[in-house]
Amino acid sequence: MRGLRKVYDDRVVVDDLDLDVPAGVVLGLIGANGAGKTTTVECLQGLRRADGGTIRVLGLDPARDAARLRPHVGSQLQDSALPDRLRVSEAITLFSGPRATGSEALLERFGLAHRRRSAFGSMSGGERQRLFLVLALLNRPRLVILDELTQGLDPTARREVWSAVAQLRNAGTTVLLVTHELDEAEVLCDRVVAMRDGKVLDAGTPAELVARHARWATVRFALPDGESVDSLRALPGVREVRHAGGQVAVHGDRQVIAFAGAWLVARGPVPDDLRVDVPDLEAALLTLLDGAAPGPPTPGADRAGAPVPTASIGTTS
Amino acid sequence: MTLQDRVADAPGPDDVPPLRTASPTRRLITAELRLLLRDPLTLTFVLVFPVVTMLIIGGSFGTEPDEAFPVNPSHWYVASYLTVVIGATGLIMLPVHIASYRERGVLRRFAASGFPRWSFALAELVVGLVAIAVSGVLLLAVAAPVYGLPAVSDPVRTAVGLVVASVAFVSLGVLLGTLLPSARAAQAIGMLLFFPSFLLGVGGPPPAVMAPALREVSERLPLALANDAVRSPWLGLGDAGGSLLVVAALAVVATALAARRTAL
Repeated sequence: MRGLRKVYDDRVVVDDLDLDVPAGVVLGLIGANGAGKTTTVECLQGLRRADGGTIRVLGLDPARDAARLRPHVGSQLQDSALPDRLRVSEAITLFSGPRATGSEALLERFGLAHRRRSAFGSMSGGERQRLFLVLALLNRPRLVILDELTQGLDPTARREVWSAVAQLRNAGTTVLLVTHELDEAEVLCDRVVAMRDGKVLDAGTPAELVARHARWATVRFALPDGESVDSLRALPGVREVRHAGGQVAVHGDRQVIAFAGAWLVARGPVPDDLRVDVPDLEAALLTLLDGAAPGPPTPGADRAGAPVPTASIGTTS
Repeated sequence: MTLQDRVADAPGPDDVPPLRTASPTRRLITAELRLLLRDPLTLTFVLVFPVVTMLIIGGSFGTEPDEAFPVNPSHWYVASYLTVVIGATGLIMLPVHIASYRERGVLRRFAASGFPRWSFALAELVVGLVAIAVSGVLLLAVAAPVYGLPAVSDPVRTAVGLVVASVAFVSLGVLLGTLLPSARAAQAIGMLLFFPSFLLGVGGPPPAVMAPALREVSERLPLALANDAVRSPWLGLGDAGGSLLVVAALAVVATALAARRTAL
């Protein structure tokens, strides 16, 4: 995808976007609402026509070659459903093309074998999402697009679906995952692309994004009586110590967690209010989206210097 | 062979020979016909409603022609109620069904899954025509022992009228389904379109007893024209060439627009 541009009325939704997805990778598109993630994948699937730029999926133009491309792409779309009275076995028959294989095995794998006779309308949210996964994989696609896969699911159902995607990743399937759930992206994705206002803010592995944009960890606790914060400032990895009202917040690299813990243990009972904020993808994205309004635990200086590389999605094999 | 051909058609590492499956359009038609039988709105408005109302009104005016009815009134209504089936299918069943699919993203799912561009339009045309055929046969099967079936005066013109009217209203129904924003809106608009057409133009009082202004309106309603194109050649009341022409024009326009709007 090179220079993708999509405009609705006068609003630019995707603006000069470059993206490549390497084969066999689970790539996550993350960002706030309205970042242009869904529009991007809809253009990629040929469901919307781009206003500018070029898209090639498996070497084909999704707008012109949709009929040839779509059998090779499995999709789980945001806000889409099946007819309520369609049964699972009927959905399998309906969506089975010439490349379809192993529908029974897929139903077993995703825990739906016992629901073959069930109508779509009678299934729980988790079961529906797993059925969409089965349908997305039915025709042995080379690229699987999953848009807000776990939206509206309870924690148990989310874990079920995560496990299914992890199986895909282990099987070497190329997956493009659009998600608001950053813990999901962190667990499932090999690479993530952060978007805002139709542009790529940054891309890399989840760990790289966390390191670039949410590097500081924070340890908070009530300062033990008679202790000074100066000795905390001297600990390895500490970048900043804030002390107010008897409460201390020690910010720094991840190692701060261990050193601050050791410091506390050496000084007697560990305070009951001990709290640790580990830098994660959510913190990284918040920093990225926040732009020029930094604050602990994320240092503004780190963001300012962060490179903005070209994102990469593509099933080039 | 271009690079694109080679990429898209190249077998994957786990490729197995293609399965022999029905074509996507055929699979879609089969699924849609099956769902039709499970749809309570269809069963109510397309199967039950015309039969029940035909039984009631068909027996309300006796069996002798008079100044209001040029033929046996029961036969007048038996012939008319085939158009009620057509109207219920085109103005209620299909708009609600298709608007519900659009609202819930079912059509996007079909599109993303590689169903051919015109497959959904074709499936809905088939579903609509099958619904009309099955309900029409049921209607006549119920009418036959109760009121008897009127002899068909001009079978060819009657058949042409039935087919053209069915295609016109099925296409209109598909078009409405693609234009209305939700199933609820489709149901409301569909009822608003259907019931006045039904009462004034097809299954209500005969035009002869209506006030002149009301009669003027009733004769120009599309469903009334469709009814005229079927009932007149059936009962030997004329060939209704003008009505047939208008309904045929409606069929052409509605079919073209519906096909365009439902392209996946």
